[in-house]
Amino acid sequence: MSSTTHHDEHADDHGLAHVATVKTLTATGGTLLLLTLVTVLATKIDFGANINLAIAMVIAVTKATLVILFFMHLRYDRLFHTVVFVSAICAASLFVGFTLMDSSQYQHTNIWQPSAPPPAPVGPRPTG
Amino acid sequence: MSSAHDDHGHHGSRFIQHHYDDAQHQFDSGKFGIWLFLAQEVLFFSALFVAYILYRVHHGEIYSYAHKWLDVKYGAINTAVLIFSSLTAAWAVRAAQLGQRLLLIVCLGTTILCACTFLGIKYIEYAHKVHEHILFGRYFDPCVSPGGMELLTKNNECSGSKSTVQWDPGSGKAKEGCFEISKIDQDAARPGVQADCVVTEVTGAASKPITNRCRDELQEMLDGEHEAADAPKSEKKEEAPKFPCWRPAYQPAVCPDLTDADKRSHGIGARPQAGIIVEYGDHLERGEEVVIKADCKAPMQATAPPAVAGTEIGDRSLKPGERSLRPAHVLTTHEEHELESLGPPPEHTSMFFTIYFAMTGLHGIHVLVGVIVFVWLLVRALKGHFTADYFGPIDYAALYWHIVDLIWIFLFPLLYLIH
Repeated sequence: MSSTTHHDEHADDHGLAHVATVKTLTATGGTLLLLTLVTVLATKIDFGANINLAIAMVIAVTKATLVILFFMHLRYDRLFHTVVFVSAICAASLFVGFTLMDSSQYQHTNIWQPSAPPPAPVGPRPTG
Repeated sequence: MSSAHDDHGHHGSRFIQHHYDDAQHQFDSGKFGIWLFLAQEVLFFSALFVAYILYRVHHGEIYSYAHKWLDVKYGAINTAVLIFSSLTAAWAVRAAQLGQRLLLIVCLGTTILCACTFLGIKYIEYAHKVHEHILFGRYFDPCVSPGGMELLTKNNECSGSKSTVQWDPGSGKAKEGCFEISKIDQDAARPGVQADCVVTEVTGAASKPITNRCRDELQEMLDGEHEAADAPKSEKKEEAPKFPCWRPAYQPAVCPDLTDADKRSHGIGARPQAGIIVEYGDHLERGEEVVIKADCKAPMQATAPPAVAGTEIGDRSLKPGERSLRPAHVLTTHEEHELESLGPPPEHTSMFFTIYFAMTGLHGIHVLVGVIVFVWLLVRALKGHFTADYFGPIDYAALYWHIVDLIWIFLFPLLYLIH
């Protein structure tokens, strides 16, 4: 217990886990706050709705990556934890992607309007 | 059991469980567990992100309209607060690893304080939305426009409402009441007067108004009449308050039917008036006209005190003490601008707030859980439980807190910063 107070912050391998340096923590926090300011200011400029959305998302992904790598120590952590987390994100992406594909496919039938029935399906008429 | 701890005596901490080989084994097991939990959290929230993305792809116009009800200021402050608390949480882990007990306590305390600040700001936002009926699903009946303009609402439940129309929430029909029809008898000599009408009959199903057509048509009609009647006074006419017909986009769109000669003949007062056309409809009723007939009495002066209006209405359908007539609303420049630029909200705008409350609400619950966990850790830190070989709980809680921050990092631009 007493030896812990003399722990060398650069000796990553000697503790149970990596110890983040003060510099890393403050630099990450500062960058995150700066990026928050940038993303707010970016919406004040009109680049077109899609580009504005893209800018906001790029900044959000950058911020998320910073949090994951440095605050969550994933950069210094076991590779398997990265595998677990990235798998979850991939699964979520599949979730979003397939739902979008499916809903776009049937969008015209979602709201049934008697005055404007959906077009007949393309292709041969089923037989038998 | 207690003797098992002695096996690990060289590690110091009494919190190393006997079924682990050593402190490292216990720490790694816990860390793996928390990462699995975080993966589950990502999947958990992804369901709501699917709802968000799906609705935004197919109904983007709702997002670009409804986000204006949200205050970027609050969202930005909350983002900064959460990021700062993430920093202190990460620092708490470092302090625990290095055995810096006082710093650990300060970091945990700051994290808790930030989390409470976040919840406090969230409360301010939620309270405002509850007060103004900017809510989810069928409870979406906003009392104010995104620009802060006061609105007449469907259910007329706003405090200090300007409308006296009584709505039957069950059928969605107007029962009785008094529409503001300041423009109907607009007189160049008496700007701002309004008639006092009591609705006597409503025909057609009325649920949600859909139109803004009356504004332009009414304006043209009145302009035409005025120009024909008294051309020299046209300057005064321009100063006269415009009746913002689209405002009833959330409300009864009340427009005088000046096209119908019969209805006009019913009028009393200086100008003919009687019929009020209200167009409503959800997507099934689009285009169907709903006519509200009303008995109108002589317009009163805009400066007349409300008490006078109350007594005059006394023998009518309105009961004394109910919301009375008010002077005609004169649009400010800001409101004029909003009328021009914003227009009525798209259909199903309530869906934005359904998604907003679901996502921020679930996130808020996570913040609340985080507060509880960090308070527990703070108590343990004060007792001196955490040492260099036993700081797992701090690390796990910090990881959880970072994922909460992470989700907000996406929620903030997706909800508040829509262009």
